[in-house]
Amino acid sequence: MVMIAQNSSESLSFVPGPWWSPFATTAGVQIVHVALSPDPACESEAYGWLDKAERGAWGKYLPRPRRQFTLCRAALRAILCERFDCRNDQLSFGAGRHGKPFAIAGGARIPFNFNVSHSGGHGLIALSAAGRLGVDIEERIPRRYLNELIEAVMAPEEQTELAALPESAKLHLFYRLWTLKEALIKALGTGFSTDPSGFQAPPAMRRDGRSSVFSFPNLPSVAWMLEDIGDERFAAALAYELESPKIGR
Amino acid sequence: MATTEERIRKLVDENLEIEGRPLGRGLDLNASLRDAGVPSADFLAFTKVVAEEFNLTFSPEDCSRFENLGDLVTFLDSRG
Repeated sequence: MVMIAQNSSESLSFVPGPWWSPFATTAGVQIVHVALSPDPACESEAYGWLDKAERGAWGKYLPRPRRQFTLCRAALRAILCERFDCRNDQLSFGAGRHGKPFAIAGGARIPFNFNVSHSGGHGLIALSAAGRLGVDIEERIPRRYLNELIEAVMAPEEQTELAALPESAKLHLFYRLWTLKEALIKALGTGFSTDPSGFQAPPAMRRDGRSSVFSFPNLPSVAWMLEDIGDERFAAALAYELESPKIGR
Repeated sequence: MATTEERIRKLVDENLEIEGRPLGRGLDLNASLRDAGVPSADFLAFTKVVAEEFNLTFSPEDCSRFENLGDLVTFLDSRG
């Protein structure tokens, strides 16, 4: 069995790569930006990082998601190899019941949390040595059926607030709320079995708040820190588990 | 009368798009929607359109089982 040693540094620093770079750091969570614009040289190099199983999956993707998957997975591999001082061929990935991936090295699950999201030309990887976390990113592309999407995934109060907005503000808030919800669901690791219309984003974050503590209505004992990490290029959110509930913060 | 698969393909054609572009009729029913690049919000909205078309309801657990459109067709056919 290969012994996996965690980088002794307390920080989550890493060497930026050809297509990935630091994006933000918050409370022990490192967020990495992955550039996903077409780049044959980077894509070819990234493909070289994939193992046999990943290359099998690669063949099933359409061109754009294939590029997104390859560049994000290769960046994640490079970061994990550096952090755990292991070789790429010692690293593989498994998945939980609802598809949330985890890393395996030397036959053992690495005690380290990560989550990946991509949209259009941008990807984000969130990494933490502490609790569960989820990240989501969405480019703010105009939607043909925005009102139907809102009806499908937003809670009633959120729907009312969105309906009162002019179109451009509505689109902006839709993506903001959706990334918050998706980050929470990804952190929880339950996939579509958690109905996003069954809970609502914290009221402060439905306005201009950048962060808030959240608990799912059916899981009040677990508290999550929720952060809006979007910028002018995309909407994005991070959710990570707090050690103890801090409701009302 | 149209088969379940034909009805689903028509709904896909009318409702699903990737980054502003229609998904297209050539979609392999056994291909993962995630692999095809369908965002999760769009998939959830699509299941509500399907539920309306077939006059039934999907639980969140049902939705979590649909890896691809083939799974959805099989589920609908099993409901008669």
